[in-house]
Amino acid sequence: MSNEILKLHYDIATGDYLKAGEASSNIKKALMQLGVDNKIIRRVCVASYEAEINIVIHSLGGYMDMNIYEDRIEIVAADVGPGISDVALAMTVGYSTATQGAREMGFGAGMGLPNIKNNCDELTVDSSAGGSTTITMKIYFK
Amino acid sequence: MTKLFHSVKLIEDKCKGCSKCMNNCPMEAVRIKNSKAFVIEDKCIDCGECIKVCPYNAHDIDRDYLEDIQKYKIKVAVPSTTLYAQFGEYVDPGIIHAALLKLGFDEVYEQTYACDIVAEITKKEIENTKKPAISLVCPSIARLISINYPSLIENTIKVLTPIEVAASLIREKYEKAGYKYEDVGIFFLTPCAVWLTSLKQSPTKQNPDINGIIAIKDIYSKLLKEIKSGEIEKLDVSSMSFTGLSVVVPGGLCKSINSSNYITVDGVKNVIKVLDEVESGKLQDVELIEPFACSGGCLGGSFLVENPYNARRLLDKCIKDTNFTYSFDELSDYYMQQFVENVRNIKFSNQKLAEDFVSAVKKMKYMNELVNTLPGTDCGQCGSPSCKAFAEDVVRGLAHIEDCKYINLGGDVNEG
Repeated sequence: MSNEILKLHYDIATGDYLKAGEASSNIKKALMQLGVDNKIIRRVCVASYEAEINIVIHSLGGYMDMNIYEDRIEIVAADVGPGISDVALAMTVGYSTATQGAREMGFGAGMGLPNIKNNCDELTVDSSAGGSTTITMKIYFK
Repeated sequence: MTKLFHSVKLIEDKCKGCSKCMNNCPMEAVRIKNSKAFVIEDKCIDCGECIKVCPYNAHDIDRDYLEDIQKYKIKVAVPSTTLYAQFGEYVDPGIIHAALLKLGFDEVYEQTYACDIVAEITKKEIENTKKPAISLVCPSIARLISINYPSLIENTIKVLTPIEVAASLIREKYEKAGYKYEDVGIFFLTPCAVWLTSLKQSPTKQNPDINGIIAIKDIYSKLLKEIKSGEIEKLDVSSMSFTGLSVVVPGGLCKSINSSNYITVDGVKNVIKVLDEVESGKLQDVELIEPFACSGGCLGGSFLVENPYNARRLLDKCIKDTNFTYSFDELSDYYMQQFVENVRNIKFSNQKLAEDFVSAVKKMKYMNELVNTLPGTDCGQCGSPSCKAFAEDVVRGLAHIEDCKYINLGGDVNEG
């Protein structure tokens, strides 16, 4: 598989609700500057935003990379823990482990992973309880 | 590329290159080149912030003045409803209308009927629009969406603005009465700069319905003199509606269509925050978003005189004193067809770094490398509003790397 032609990296802090969304907003700006189709931008926006929010709410911190290949956009959202104990359950609409605090902020509706899935062509969730989580989202240009 | 027409112009003799406009432009559209401000047209949304902050009045628009109305046999003034709140204390709109006649107009057409038509169409169109629906009553917001949020076009309500509807109704009236197009001059008394752009760009019609734009501040002192003279008899304004009056203030449109599930947001930077959320897939349970570029809605326009907070008090009184509103059991199909715009002159502005994808990727790589070598202090001495904007300007050929005086020191104070 060919190497990515562009890589953009964004660090994401845990619990920083005020800045949540900044990385995905920067990703969107970059895609507009690259002249990517608006429909694809919208899908990347939704998927990357949800992934970013997941890191802010659930994780101990992490990062998001956008890798651009000739045929696709790949977004890797990785954190340092605490991991998802049941990935299949986490993919269920309405299921959430968000804290009361996060819910009070309007997050934790249990739509994060399902929304991501709906907006990308391929999704892999690599996680285990107690470990780190890496989500890889692929969206093809055609 | 489609060339966007802009209202805001720079008067070079007055500009000292002070960078106030550059630092306050919410779109990062202003640069300082050779000690003069310079507007990147593809980024400008005509919000008028530069007009408000410029200490030397160097930003201005080509507009019309009272002399210009003399070209027409019939001179019609269409005041923005913000005019009723500009005189420091409450003045009956009927007196203000009478004063306008003294200034040389033959008719004063009050806008509230047109505002109510727009509200009614908005109410109907919400049903056919992706949620959250977004009102485009403020033309700067229409431009913001075309520049930054092309994917939100499907969320926008496609209806003409109240002034466009009003002008169209006036044209129709005079046409029916047998007047030729060139006999009737319709002048909008505007609270802000954006209307020049939107009305000149506007309809697909060869002859625009609006002939001229007069800034309220330009006629203010003359109007005040007439009002204070005490020699005028007030005109009948019983057909003025309170719902129509309120469309210029944040929340007015939403209340007038009885929505209980809306967001009203003012100020470009705040609007950007809300639209970012919409684009990320949030706020889908909201019925209508009513955004204004100016803080305080139209009452915060750059061509008004009264401070927007006192103006709000005065307009609220005016609204409270008005008991009338138009009711549309069934808005005629004719109106619906005439005033619903399928593609409300939204032209996309392109933000590509290069025409083809591979070159754009190359430029972006270079741009990102550049950002890392810049000090990150956003000092503005290069003539760009931030280090990031400077890097983009270099890549786009709008700036030279030598314009940064600190680039060699980069790395020390870096990161952000």
